[in-house]
Amino acid sequence: MKEKVLTEHFGLENLYKIDVYKKQGGYQATEKALKKMKPEEILEEVKKANLRGRGGAGFPAGVKWSFVPDTDKPKYLCVNADEGEPGTFKDRYIMSHNPHMLLEGIIITSFCVGIHAAFIYIRGEYEAIALRLEQAISEAYENGFLGKNILESGFDLDIFVHRGAGAYICGEETALLESLEGKRGVPRLKPPFPASVGLWQCPTVINNVETISNISHIILNGAEWFVKQGLPKDGGTRIFGVSGMVKNPGIYELPLGTSLKDIIFKHAGGMKEGKKLKAVIPGGMSAPILTADEINIKMDFDSLVEANSMLGSAAIIVIDEKTSILDVLKVVTKFYSHESCGQCTPCRIGNSWINKIVKRIAEGKGKKEDIDSILRLASNIEGNTLCPLGDAAAMPILSITKKFRKELESHV
Amino acid sequence: MIIIIDGKKIEVEGKRTVLEVAREKDIFIPSLCDHPQLTPFGGCRLCIVEIKEKRGYPPSCSTYVENGMEIKTKTPRLQELRREILELILSEHPNACLICSEKENCDEYKSTIRKVGEVTGCVLCSNNGRCELQDVVETLKIDKVKFPSVYRDLDVKKGDPFFDRDYNLCILCGRCVRVCQEVRGASAVSFVYRGSEAVVGTVFDLPLLESGCQFCGACVDVCPTGSLTERGIRYEGLPDERAKTICPLCSIGCELKIDLKRQKILSSKPSDEGAVNEGQACVKGRFLIKDVVHSPRRILKPLIRVNKKLEEVSWEGALDFVAQKLKKFKGKKTALIASPQVSCEEYFLLHKFASEELKTENVDSSYRFSPLAVFDKMAKENGLELGLNFEIKDISRAKTLFLIGEDISKSHPIIWLEVLKAVKGGAKLIVASPEELSLSRYSALWLQIKPGTEFYLLSFLSKLFLQKEQEADHPRIEGLDSFEDSLDKLDLSNVFEMTGITREELKEASELLLDTENAAFLFGMGLTQHSWGSRNVAALWNLALQAQAQLFPLGLENNLRGVFEIGRNSSDKGLNLNQIFQAASSGELKALYLAGPAPYLKKANLELLVIQDSFVNENFEFADAVLPASTFAETEGTFINGEGRLQKFNKVIDPLGEAKPDWWIISQLARRMGNKGFHFKNPSDITKEMIKIVPSFSNISYAELEKGQKIFIQEETKKERSFIPLKYSDSHYKKSKEYPFLMFLDYSLDYYRSLSLSQESRGLKAIRDSRWIKVSLEDAEELNLKEGENIAVESSSGKFKGFVKIVKSLPKGILGASFLLSEDSDFSVSGLIPSVFQESHSLGMLPVKIKREK
Ligand SMILES: Cc1cc2nc3c(=O)[nH]c(=O)nc-3n(C[C@H](O)[C@H](O)[C@H](O)COP(=O)(O)O)c2cc1C
Ligand code: SF4
Ligand code: SF4
Ligand code: SF4
Ligand code: SF4
Ligand code: SF4
Ligand code: FES
Repeated sequence: MKEKVLTEHFGLENLYKIDVYKKQGGYQATEKALKKMKPEEILEEVKKANLRGRGGAGFPAGVKWSFVPDTDKPKYLCVNADEGEPGTFKDRYIMSHNPHMLLEGIIITSFCVGIHAAFIYIRGEYEAIALRLEQAISEAYENGFLGKNILESGFDLDIFVHRGAGAYICGEETALLESLEGKRGVPRLKPPFPASVGLWQCPTVINNVETISNISHIILNGAEWFVKQGLPKDGGTRIFGVSGMVKNPGIYELPLGTSLKDIIFKHAGGMKEGKKLKAVIPGGMSAPILTADEINIKMDFDSLVEANSMLGSAAIIVIDEKTSILDVLKVVTKFYSHESCGQCTPCRIGNSWINKIVKRIAEGKGKKEDIDSILRLASNIEGNTLCPLGDAAAMPILSITKKFRKELESHV
Repeated sequence: MIIIIDGKKIEVEGKRTVLEVAREKDIFIPSLCDHPQLTPFGGCRLCIVEIKEKRGYPPSCSTYVENGMEIKTKTPRLQELRREILELILSEHPNACLICSEKENCDEYKSTIRKVGEVTGCVLCSNNGRCELQDVVETLKIDKVKFPSVYRDLDVKKGDPFFDRDYNLCILCGRCVRVCQEVRGASAVSFVYRGSEAVVGTVFDLPLLESGCQFCGACVDVCPTGSLTERGIRYEGLPDERAKTICPLCSIGCELKIDLKRQKILSSKPSDEGAVNEGQACVKGRFLIKDVVHSPRRILKPLIRVNKKLEEVSWEGALDFVAQKLKKFKGKKTALIASPQVSCEEYFLLHKFASEELKTENVDSSYRFSPLAVFDKMAKENGLELGLNFEIKDISRAKTLFLIGEDISKSHPIIWLEVLKAVKGGAKLIVASPEELSLSRYSALWLQIKPGTEFYLLSFLSKLFLQKEQEADHPRIEGLDSFEDSLDKLDLSNVFEMTGITREELKEASELLLDTENAAFLFGMGLTQHSWGSRNVAALWNLALQAQAQLFPLGLENNLRGVFEIGRNSSDKGLNLNQIFQAASSGELKALYLAGPAPYLKKANLELLVIQDSFVNENFEFADAVLPASTFAETEGTFINGEGRLQKFNKVIDPLGEAKPDWWIISQLARRMGNKGFHFKNPSDITKEMIKIVPSFSNISYAELEKGQKIFIQEETKKERSFIPLKYSDSHYKKSKEYPFLMFLDYSLDYYRSLSLSQESRGLKAIRDSRWIKVSLEDAEELNLKEGENIAVESSSGKFKGFVKIVKSLPKGILGASFLLSEDSDFSVSGLIPSVFQESHSLGMLPVKIKREK
């Protein structure tokens, strides 16, 4: 097993304090980037590192940054700390254990892209973590890592923490922007993409907490080293959040490409006493489900796409034999029908009907045709909505219904 | 670029959506949330297409064409998906009628059942027959819905004026939300809640009246379903005729589509083709036209006074009677008051009639109060050219806007929309007003000015400018030195205290104004209504020169500009409006011909009063004859709007009762009095004569006017603009112990001839009542006045009644009231005459006190 990158010092007491963090080499990356590197060099390094977004879609971070046009308008960075994907709990570990690592990433990213105001959009429930971030930010100001003329480099940056109000959709990047602007958080049409028209119509970079937290490590150790921590096209490690019927649920930082089977049976200690594996959701609730036979798979973006699923937020939900798949489906459909923002017909009404039908089946009033109705409704949502939430709902529903059709049919 | 739709090669230019191109080429793609005036939304998902090399089903309404795009609009999968989507929509919509196999035969049976409270099917819905959802169901041939129907069971919102909101019928297309936010700048409605509970609503579900709604009706017009329905036509069914005309209720001149049923106006809507309004209107044009034309106050028969009583007579009898009487009062002892709301043709005839038949120069109208009149007076005094060559559309291109003395979101709604466009494009708006206006939220700076002190504000800004200019060394404009001298002499030491505006605000204002290439200054009655109004305009003129800004005088009545152009070259020797009323009281004047609004003439001492009007009013009490004039809807002619655009308006219905158009009445009278110059068969004969006689009309081609082409009254400008020295005199208002309040008068825009719109329409009354007396929050608290409470306001020369309207942002000690000549005397500020008319153009501010009414 290779070394840990992000969680290396998580065990350390008071790591969230700037002094402790600095003793572990904290803010050296910032010094290096701001004093010794040009923005173009940083961008080159991040591109070479093949750092793919940790928020869900896995878009290469360096490429995203390079889309930001050169304009007179201000540019912004929004760190997506909404962490709403069911099963996902990695970002909160990063922010509560090592907030300065995130701040460093923000400073370097902003310096690279030419940004002078950054926002951390954090989910409303993370109140204590937001407070911790605020504290870390004020420490960083006091130590000259934020504010005007940071480290005498002439570079200015302010960071603001903005708390969300509890809607899953606000984790979608354009809904996040609307919410940040003080409006109702609903997705915008794309294109234009936020990199060109984002917050207050200005170019905006949006990245996940974990994505940004990797930046300081890339700067300190170089792209080559980073790629070696994972796969050539998918550099670095991932923090896998394992939950469900395993012995040791929790977060596990492992190289990209680690097998799912190993994660469950080696790292997370295998199934709980007396439980048998039935299925795994490998990348947060939006990811298509894998059956027990399908877990011999490498956990990286491309391998999961090949297996018709996705790595998403790398949240692994382990389901055992005794868990009724109908209950799983119920949770999934209830969630999406509740969290649909309501803008587009297929997602709003489609999910609402799927939810009603599943509820009806669970109440024992299901009909034979119901299974096909679910499939039809979900496939009408797929590829036919304004934002990816539609797909995010359709994919798990379709995969669960198809792969566990027999079991579902036993309920009607 | 070339794109291919359904195998057809199409050339396209510019940034266009696939749907736009398809529509243009008559390729039908069903759509519900798209609307040509609004930004794409991409919500309903009916307009989906397949595009080669693109994943999924992109919506054509929000996909922009790219070179080489290959698009399919009608594959079996697309049609299936569309039907599925539509079924989803219908599962939440009363659908029984939509899929009923008997729907073709249904029409015969459903005559009155629409009068139920709840819409459970098309047959009960006022949108039946003009519904976009019905159309889509029809084209996609839906005859069943797989899902059981879900009725949302939301309360139908019926508490607001003019339209009901039944969100049980809403398909969440978001058009209303977008039009309200993007086009109207009101943002009164928005989506609320999410998931299956998502719906459209107001903030905290408050009534629209408390949500910043303008009641423009734009949302009603874009709604594809029956969710938003005009209450007035709820039970009326479909129109049998449709006509177009021009709205006469303000100086914009919106083109309206009028729906008719059996020669009665059902409703009026803005026309998309309207050159000025492009599909937009305001509460008056959208909801009040019907009420105005079919008002129960219309007078429909000629009346003459016989034995002290007004009695109905035939037109013959009435005309003979009036002609006879008028013959006796020719010359100086006679006066005529015209309305700036009649057509150019009619105004021209009234003038001609006065000079040729009544032989009097005593002709005037409420044009006299308008900013244009004051501007003209100022220009004449200083030998300046007005330079009125501008278009309303120019406003949206301005980079800096300065608005003083008018709440244009109410008085000039369409100009406001242009200002909004400019602001959304990055322009900076500076507003100077005593109370906070709803549009202030879009302003870069709001200067809360004490009314009456505008002169100091403007002069001080000029001074700040000059200081900057000296550093910049710009080419000098003529008159600068004497202007500078006059400024130097002006004592502006306590300008902050006087105006109530801080040094910082004034500095910011001057910086915003200086830093621009393209500025527009809009000014209204608030600037000009003071007795020193023309000095205010002079100060604004200079500032505009410094900022190189275009000046826009904001007149209120629809044909003010027509009145101005027609009267432009006639003498100013006769009595003006104010003097006419005074002469009527003193007995100097013997006969008065009222073809326009006048205050209650109780104090008048006349031997003959003739009233030519469309509505009953209090002055009938003193009238010797009443000649029932038809409204704009019953005749044709031309109006000139505020920007100088000459527009033809059309006859929509036949005159009601025995009412006759003004031009007809005047022509008949003149002929009866022996004048051969009034042989007009129709208004176009008059137009042709005007083109010959009125200088401003000389360049107009009648043929072009007929064809509805764009015609502007052009102003010749020969001179370079120059500065004018400011004249200073003690110009501010003083309160006294006895009269501790100053009341500013808002010359009300809510009237048509002698009809007060807010008294006629309950809806408008709820929005803005001409009987409101605005009181500041502080004063209200101090005096323990409650909202809506009856009060009276007393000046040294009279009193009038009204209702308390508490305005938070109004400064203490200031009251506001509307000045409406046609208001009932008890409630009319004109009851305070003569103090209202201090000078010919002035309404000014009145020192008053408040009295409680029981
Ligand atoms: C419905 C929905 C919810 C999302 N929620 C989150 C979230 O909670 N956190 C997150 O980082 N990304 C979330 N995303 C992904 C973001 O839209 C965006 O892709 C991501 O923040 C980009 O960062 P990355 O490139 O660093 O992954 C969500 C996407 C969708 C469609
Ligand atoms: S897909 Fe769902 S969440 Fe996304 S915009 Fe449409 S309705 Fe809203
Ligand atoms: S909105 Fe249209 S489809 Fe719906 S009930 Fe009314 S007429 Fe019928
Ligand atoms: S009437 Fe006008 S202002 Fe009011 S909600 Fe509709 S669009 Fe908005
Ligand atoms: S009320 Fe009408 S316009 Fe507004 S969202 Fe509903 S259907 Fe569309
Ligand atoms: S803006 Fe003026 S012209 Fe247009 S509808 Fe309103 S009142 Fe009529
Ligand atoms: S018209 Fe395109 S999605 Fe509604």
